[in-house]
Amino acid sequence: MFENFLSIMIFVPIIAGLAIFVLPFSKEAARIIGLAVSVIVVLLGLKVFLSFSGASGAFEFVEHIPINESLGISYSLGVDGISILVLAAAATLFPMVYLLFQTKQKGYYANLLIVQGAMIGAVAATDMVLFYVFWEAMLLPVFFMIGLYGGPNRLPATIKITIYTIAGSLLMLASIVYLGIAHQAQSGEWSFAMTNLVGLSLSGATATLAFVGFMIAFAIKIPLFPFHTWLPDAYTEAPTATTFVLSAVMAKIGVYGVIRFVVPVFDESFARYALILACSGVIGMMYCGIAALAQKDFKRMLAFSSASHMGIIALGIFCMNIQALTGTLYQIVAHATSTGVLFLLLGIIEERTATRNIDDFGGLAARAPIFAFFFAVAMLASVGLPGTSGFIGEFLIILGAVKFNPLIAVLAGTTLIIGVCYMLWLFQRIFFEKPNSKLAGFGDLSAIEILTILPIVILIVVMGIYPQPFLAKIEPSAQRQMAIIEKVQHVAEYRLEPQKPGQELKTGDR
Amino acid sequence: MTHTVTYLGFIPLLPLAGALLIGLIYVVTCQGKQISERLYGILGCVGPVLSFFMAVKVFFALLSLPAEQRFLSHKAFTWFAVGDLDVSMGFLADPLSSLMLLFVTFVGSLIHIYSIGYMAGDQKFGKFFAYLNLFLGSMLILVLGDGPVVMFVGWEGVGLCSYLLISFWSEDTDNVVAGNKAFIVNRIGDLGFVLGMAFLFWGIGADGFDYLSLKANAHNLTAPVGVLVCLLLFVGATGKSAQIPLYVWLPDAMAGPTPVSALIHAATMVTAGVYMVARFSFIYAHVPAAGEVVAWIGILTALLAAIFGMFQSDIKKILAYSTVSQLGYMFAGVGVAAYSAGIFHVFTHAFFKALLFLGAGSVIIALHHQQDIWKMGGLRSKLPVTYWTMLIGGLALAGCPPFAGFISKDEILYSALANGHVGIWLIGVLVAGITAYYTFRMIFVVFHGSPRDQEAYDHAHESPRVMLIPLLILAAGSMFAGYANIPAIFGGHQRVSHWLAPSLVEHHPHSGLGLEILAIAASILAFVIGISIAYRKFTVQVDEPDYSGIKKFAYHKFYVDELYHKVIVAPYQFVGKAISRVIEPYVTDAPVQASGWLYRMCGLAFKVVQVGYVRIYAVYMVIGVSILSLLLSRSLNF
Repeated sequence: MFENFLSIMIFVPIIAGLAIFVLPFSKEAARIIGLAVSVIVVLLGLKVFLSFSGASGAFEFVEHIPINESLGISYSLGVDGISILVLAAAATLFPMVYLLFQTKQKGYYANLLIVQGAMIGAVAATDMVLFYVFWEAMLLPVFFMIGLYGGPNRLPATIKITIYTIAGSLLMLASIVYLGIAHQAQSGEWSFAMTNLVGLSLSGATATLAFVGFMIAFAIKIPLFPFHTWLPDAYTEAPTATTFVLSAVMAKIGVYGVIRFVVPVFDESFARYALILACSGVIGMMYCGIAALAQKDFKRMLAFSSASHMGIIALGIFCMNIQALTGTLYQIVAHATSTGVLFLLLGIIEERTATRNIDDFGGLAARAPIFAFFFAVAMLASVGLPGTSGFIGEFLIILGAVKFNPLIAVLAGTTLIIGVCYMLWLFQRIFFEKPNSKLAGFGDLSAIEILTILPIVILIVVMGIYPQPFLAKIEPSAQRQMAIIEKVQHVAEYRLEPQKPGQELKTGDR
Repeated sequence: MTHTVTYLGFIPLLPLAGALLIGLIYVVTCQGKQISERLYGILGCVGPVLSFFMAVKVFFALLSLPAEQRFLSHKAFTWFAVGDLDVSMGFLADPLSSLMLLFVTFVGSLIHIYSIGYMAGDQKFGKFFAYLNLFLGSMLILVLGDGPVVMFVGWEGVGLCSYLLISFWSEDTDNVVAGNKAFIVNRIGDLGFVLGMAFLFWGIGADGFDYLSLKANAHNLTAPVGVLVCLLLFVGATGKSAQIPLYVWLPDAMAGPTPVSALIHAATMVTAGVYMVARFSFIYAHVPAAGEVVAWIGILTALLAAIFGMFQSDIKKILAYSTVSQLGYMFAGVGVAAYSAGIFHVFTHAFFKALLFLGAGSVIIALHHQQDIWKMGGLRSKLPVTYWTMLIGGLALAGCPPFAGFISKDEILYSALANGHVGIWLIGVLVAGITAYYTFRMIFVVFHGSPRDQEAYDHAHESPRVMLIPLLILAAGSMFAGYANIPAIFGGHQRVSHWLAPSLVEHHPHSGLGLEILAIAASILAFVIGISIAYRKFTVQVDEPDYSGIKKFAYHKFYVDELYHKVIVAPYQFVGKAISRVIEPYVTDAPVQASGWLYRMCGLAFKVVQVGYVRIYAVYMVIGVSILSLLLSRSLNF
């Protein structure tokens, strides 16, 4: 029938979103269109996910149309093990938003559609210029959504995220141009295709600067400490759907960008600075995790929690071994599901009660047992309990970190403790203790809400009990990335050696 | 050589399926008309009882095999495999896990049955059984798992259930705080467990990360890594099994319903740490230094908790500290490489401690949730079955020959002595005396003398049969479980030790009859002294003493909780507040704030020149063009 699934998944939402802006649809019509399009994307996404084999580790569903031959820019798409789970998350999580939040302005739904198309584009692009175009395109709707539909302090939050993001984007643009020039200098012709850029041998101060440019752009998006300060404000002030998009998918595209572009292209610089980056990840995890405990606003607490987890997820890239990298790629989706459900459920509370103050709650478990159960499952995944999706990734990352640097691993492991501290405290204050009389009218989830969230809750458990089908799709591509890094690991002088001689012999390929 | 049997997987699966079913029924019905307790009770007990029968089947299947081939395994599926790491959802029944299976499912089933009586009339009756089943399923995964990662699944699962059941009556903030404390303190231990697993994997895990492969490769583990792995795993054990310094959560965990205290916080879950050390005996046996640490932490915990137990007034807290203390004995046992002795004490302790807790529950129910022993007294005549069964449990705990506790504890103390750990043995004997003292302090105050609260006494009534029958069965266990491992000196055959031998790496000391008689005599003497002091002090009518000086210090548990709060909890909260109120806005975010300021400053600078008059701009243009032409002329060398 048709082959270019990826293009359809990118442009159907974008076109639908633009159409809603331009044409005189009612709010309800806009929502229905959004829902219909997002369901189509889910189906296409499932089709891509299921027929993706991943065995070779190479790109599949490849599309290639040259745009500017002389500059080597092309419209190139593809999926491999690095991107498949991010793509799946971007493709499948959206219908929930249209089902749960039914009374928004039509611009709200239009922006959601555009951001989804752009995110899928960013994940599927295999040409760096194309990636940059989608990267920018996915940021604009976020500004609008926070600025137009956010909470009372939305303007400062919007300005902050704008300053941050534009700074990052400009640095990345400069670095992309540098890569094109470098390719021209080394091979005689221009190219921005990933497959060509990987072959560059980059060294010297300029290469390091370009590396830093990329890293800062992605570090802002992830966010890595200390570039995270936009996050608590933005996550708190953004409408729930936007927070959901930011935390569940967009932050992951930052992580994805590092794995896709920075690791293979700047392999030497990456290996050299991996320890510093790993420290940044661990410090961010502890810093944001400890700060989460002091929050009075539950959305803000969850924002810090999300930033804290992103620190650990990013750490998995910097450990430079297959377990940690695979763990990160897995955790990308695991975290998307758990944090996504948490933000959605708290969003439902906020919509119903118009408050985010933790002190206003109490005893919800007795009034809304299904709500409490869903929240508990997502919370347990968030703290990495075995049997939920959260454990697999976290375990693999910590395992890999022990090989990379035992001290980092010990610090990273404290996430086990830090996570439960604020989460249990939150759970106690909202769901346990004496029922708060102000919440007398708070009923349980409606049937449609249950049916919307239940699939994700089931996915959390399935991914915890039977992760191997997902891992099998990731691992070959991750092995390819590792092969690139292993070639240059000898230059990583800052990296501590494994703790004892002799063990390297036993960790060869199976 | 292992045999594959699929039914192993069903042993944990049955209670888990029960939990799911009961949970679904409860969630669907809890808002409207509640379904009958009888149905929940039956559903709740089916899974555990079936698991028990399958455990018996496993036991006999192993028995029919030659000793060195006693391994049954079942690999359900590949759980996750990345690089050299290959973790299966696999189960292994060998002599060690089959013994654990037997008593876990047996005691578990009894406590499920008892709970039907104890929880009768509770709003959340169905939820209770869902959690209890979930716990049992997790515990069975912990015991049956064929490698450290699967053990960790059960390990965390039981931790979760412990949290859920401690905070079961969640309207009361104290209960929830106790649950949080249990979860968080256990998580500190779990960090050790995870890191220990990671080091073990990078050491010898590449050729298979299950016990049998690890055991086969254990000789490749270098000594420093071995010590590190053992100590980190033991950190995990100190959390789960409430040892110094992480014991503080267990006494607070008594906030949960009493059957939970009996099942989770006495008989099964808290012994998981001992099981883990015995499981990894193939590593611990090679690094005696780590074993030394385990043994000393264990015996010091035994002493500390016994001291605290002497001064408690809450009947459940007395038993809680006694559990901590007995767990200390078990670690002393496995620490001095007497793994079978440690596991045997786990086995007997499950009977008599579950019995004591269930008995205490019977007393508590009889007195309408009164737990203060100084409000009791003379209950012997009112609660005869409870009294006699608790007396048996008390004698077993106190180490009275020939009850179960005497035989297993003596085995540990004798092993310590025979392996040359005289210090540990001496402290162990001292603790035996203290144990006899505080146990009979409790029994005499509760059941003897005359009532301290006449009204409560008048309303007291013996518990229903569904609660008493488990008590009687456990009492029989407390009397006779010891006979499974009677030492040779009494003409026994040490059947349990021989049974466990294929699973463990241990060397039985042969140090002569004299030492054995010395150990036994000292234990009996300690028991007699302890019980006599208790008899002298507490069979007469006394009220709660007003403690002062060192006793007051012990009564307040050496203020360890307060210390932890000051040194760890409060600073942690302070740092959290400091970050979010000071560091984040004024330090980390300062460059971003400054960027706005810089932007405004630039704007001010440009405001000076951008005045808006064409003539001024013309001047700028003239100046600019002049400078440019000057530069140009210089570069072209005019």
